[in-house]
Amino acid sequence: MAVLRSLMFAFAALATTWTGTAAPAAQTMEGGWHGNYFPNVELTTHDGKKVKFYDDVIRGKVVAINFIYTSCGDVCPLDTAHMRQVHTLLGDRVGKDIHFYSISVDPDNDTPQALRRYMRTFDTGAGWTFLTGKIEDIVLIQKKLGLRIVDIKKIRDHDTRLIMGNERTSQWIKRSPYDDPTILGNILSSTLHNHTGTQVGNLASYEKAGSVKNLSRGQYLYRTRCASCHTFGGGDRLGPDLKGVVGARDRVWLTRWIKEPNKMIAEKDPLAMELMSRYRNLPMPNLSLGDDEAAAVIHYMSEQDKALADQK
Amino acid sequence: MSKAPRLVAQRTAAALAILGACASVAHADFDIPTGAPSSPLFGALPFSQEMPMFEEFGTKPVPTSNTCPTCVQLPQPTTCDGTPDTIALDNFLKQTIYPLPQRTANTSTQNPWASKIGSCVYPLAQSAAEGRPTGEWFSHQRWGEFTPKVFVQTAQIGARANRGLRDTVQRHTYSNGEFAPGGLYYRGGTTSGAQVRFHPNMPVQSPKSIWTFDGTMPPKLLVARYGEPIVFRHYNALPIDYAANNGFGAHTITTHLHNGHTPAESDGFTGAFYFPGQYYDYRWPMILAGHDSINTTATDPRAGFPNGAGGITRIRGDWRETMSTLWFHDHMVDYTAQNVYKGNAAVMNIFSAVDRGKEGYLCNYTNAANPNLCLPSGTSLDWGNRDYDVNLLVADKAWDASGQLYFNIFNLNGFLGDRATVNWAYKPYMNVRARRYRLRILNGSVSRLWKFTIVTANGTRVPFHMVANDGNIMEHSVPFPNAESQELPGQGIGERFDIVIDFKPFPVGTKLYLVNLMEHDDGRGPKEVVPLASVMNNSYNGDPVVGKIMEFRVAAYTGIDRSMNPADYVEGKKKMIPRPTFTAAELATARKRTFEFGRSGNTDSMPWTIKTDGGQGLGTDIHRIDAAPNKGDVEIWRVSTDGGWAHPVHIHFEEGQIIGRDGGAPKIWEKWARKDLYTIGNEAGLARTFDIALRFREFMGTYMEHCHNTQHEDHRMLLRWDIKNPGQTIAIPAPIPTWEGTTYEPSHDNSGPGSSLAGSP
Repeated sequence: MAVLRSLMFAFAALATTWTGTAAPAAQTMEGGWHGNYFPNVELTTHDGKKVKFYDDVIRGKVVAINFIYTSCGDVCPLDTAHMRQVHTLLGDRVGKDIHFYSISVDPDNDTPQALRRYMRTFDTGAGWTFLTGKIEDIVLIQKKLGLRIVDIKKIRDHDTRLIMGNERTSQWIKRSPYDDPTILGNILSSTLHNHTGTQVGNLASYEKAGSVKNLSRGQYLYRTRCASCHTFGGGDRLGPDLKGVVGARDRVWLTRWIKEPNKMIAEKDPLAMELMSRYRNLPMPNLSLGDDEAAAVIHYMSEQDKALADQK
Repeated sequence: MSKAPRLVAQRTAAALAILGACASVAHADFDIPTGAPSSPLFGALPFSQEMPMFEEFGTKPVPTSNTCPTCVQLPQPTTCDGTPDTIALDNFLKQTIYPLPQRTANTSTQNPWASKIGSCVYPLAQSAAEGRPTGEWFSHQRWGEFTPKVFVQTAQIGARANRGLRDTVQRHTYSNGEFAPGGLYYRGGTTSGAQVRFHPNMPVQSPKSIWTFDGTMPPKLLVARYGEPIVFRHYNALPIDYAANNGFGAHTITTHLHNGHTPAESDGFTGAFYFPGQYYDYRWPMILAGHDSINTTATDPRAGFPNGAGGITRIRGDWRETMSTLWFHDHMVDYTAQNVYKGNAAVMNIFSAVDRGKEGYLCNYTNAANPNLCLPSGTSLDWGNRDYDVNLLVADKAWDASGQLYFNIFNLNGFLGDRATVNWAYKPYMNVRARRYRLRILNGSVSRLWKFTIVTANGTRVPFHMVANDGNIMEHSVPFPNAESQELPGQGIGERFDIVIDFKPFPVGTKLYLVNLMEHDDGRGPKEVVPLASVMNNSYNGDPVVGKIMEFRVAAYTGIDRSMNPADYVEGKKKMIPRPTFTAAELATARKRTFEFGRSGNTDSMPWTIKTDGGQGLGTDIHRIDAAPNKGDVEIWRVSTDGGWAHPVHIHFEEGQIIGRDGGAPKIWEKWARKDLYTIGNEAGLARTFDIALRFREFMGTYMEHCHNTQHEDHRMLLRWDIKNPGQTIAIPAPIPTWEGTTYEPSHDNSGPGSSLAGSP
């Protein structure tokens, strides 16, 4: 009976990854990276449900996994925002044949409740599960995925790479979360599905994802650090529309806000408090940018304002 | 440097202590991070099997007629995770090339596996026989001028027993020289029955573990001539089901001839991959660089190829650009390390007027007007004798408890094997005559650098000369040991060193050893150079791939050695192939570009990025062009690293000359060389910076530059650069292959002011 059930599970899993046809009979699982490799440790979802890492989280699935902690002031919000962009591109396939997971590296503090709060803040969509568990189990998962394991004393320096994989085919790809979201989306939607499925980045949307032509420092920083939460003239997203912000804000204030928003929030800077309340209490993250980098971003945004004005 | 011996001594002491506790576990203290237990030897002892010689693909003339009523199509597998029937495949590969190669990709013929793919993947609306990106962008450049004269067809397929498919196309025909009955390498005159395994004691490899050319061993060699354009039809006969790979290897492939003077569409661009059932016609023109500008009347007797009847057919181009020892291998985006390690690699020797592969025949050493350098080779054939000219493909491998090839796909720092192989054989021996040999040593590893010396059983170094660096015969030969180095330089992945060694001084029965002294405990780069003494007195017990990896057994030679003496060609004496020159004005006005290999700063977690011209540290994006020299230009490229990790940097297409090493003069083995690999790093005497002069000629299109530690390469340490026609306004778009054909996406020019493509999309 147990054997039968596991066979049925295997077939169900195949049906979701092996588009459109009956699963081939002779799918051997020897070699490869499966239950003999991945730990089947217990994790807890944001809903408080107990799941097994191998059996429930990755087995037979195409997955995108990253590691976060909810009290993280800088890199995690940005990574989450980038992942959200990819999630948006993939639309309703997420939760069906593509599964998103964010696993906490601070499980002592990240209770299911804390994870749910974080998800609300970022307005994460369907098919994206947040997980917590025992730190030793999470470290084991990181190790098996080939990540630098988290040092709980330097949790801020944890490995933020995005892991995309197809457990059945033993394909595992690591990327910076700052890669072009369209390229990440294509890996998940097509490459990891044996090059089937629809490419999310056709000609037009690749252009929209941001040209890197004559890539300036400011543009690169904007694209990789700002664009996941803000638009430029496209209305509010997770954070405010940045069109006209360079002209509207005091330069000293704006520079500091880009450099160390966490400190200004801690100091209860009035404008910072107002922005917080307007954007679902999602704090602007500290992006570890220096003076010259903040200046480059501001210069880039001012050029964009000029370009928009010239168009009119 | 001074602390190195002490560290070794400490570790050795620790090792001995551990060994006392569990003496049967070799290298118990030294955890080569394969991610698995040490690879079992199944009782195989070092130097207990004979090294296989490479098997020639054999070239055949391209037919003139595009009809073949008897020809069948590539046989298809019966299951989604299967491979074609072995006999049917051999019969197929024996046929002539049909349909004929053509300028643009063949989309009028269907992929013969289309219906099978339809039932395994999804029904295909269309599927072309040729997987080359369609249309003009990847059409063969200058097709009419360099129409292929000869062809090879092979299939990338899972391991299977050799059935003697290529017995009849070996140029020695098993009846010449050392390959004939009575010769040193004669083993019945066939490769039939050869199994894919690392040692006779070890298990045969499964078709899911190893994928290689023809699926067979011995590994393959393409013997080529200048002036004879080749079409290399490479079928992808890998499983339709991605998962039928024992845990590593992608079933989509693209083939790079490293470092041929090859137009971009046949250079194996990482994004121009193709699918099971399809072929790709790689057309390698076999022209000398400078074809368009130097010796355009084809009158220079040194620029040419052996005509098969004792003469030389002259060709256009610069004879100083003659290349000799190349290899070709997979370049699949994200999967190069896995695929090359799994077996998608072969070697190629090119023969020419200066490197004829026939000794004692109109030799340069008897008359300076003779181009033939008469490197050790043999005398039976008019050209390309292999009797004393031997390719050695050196690679570290690992296998699991059942003996099947193992790769850790998760270790992106770099993958190390814990067993040394030469020509896919675990620590083999090779019989040699007491005479001079040319050994063409290729590092075919994933992440491991090697440092070779050759010694007697008691550890005395045997002198030899390096004659070619990266497969290019140097201006002067370089003796080893020399004042700058006792051993060969640290040999990065993909680097080729051709050496000439004389076994004549050694009595028959003498055993000599190829020894590796470069220690790794991590795939990021080498740790240090182990002293030879501690290897020879067995006190070293660290990295299991350090030490003797191959044995030479000296046999009697009754012939007369009429090969050149490399000592006659050292600095201050005769020249072999002088380097092409750059004028002072060219170098002064050359455009300079910089490429920094390393981690990018700040919050980026991308470990392997390249900063071009001081810009952002970026990972691979096949849409982005980071450099775009004009055809005909001279440029100076600086490759550097901020240390910590080693990066063997490979620049495709053009051979470069090192004009600066860490701001100073190049080493003796660099200053006479033309190179395509520049190994930078922080340890073991590696340079941190090279300045390289390059000239871009003959072809245009999309090329690459990358770290040849292929795990680094796959995890984004690769950039695209294009050669463009002066005044060209549109960048070649990026190909996006699918089962149903190639689409294109626009490219983005990030190559900097002055070379940006005005008006590019």
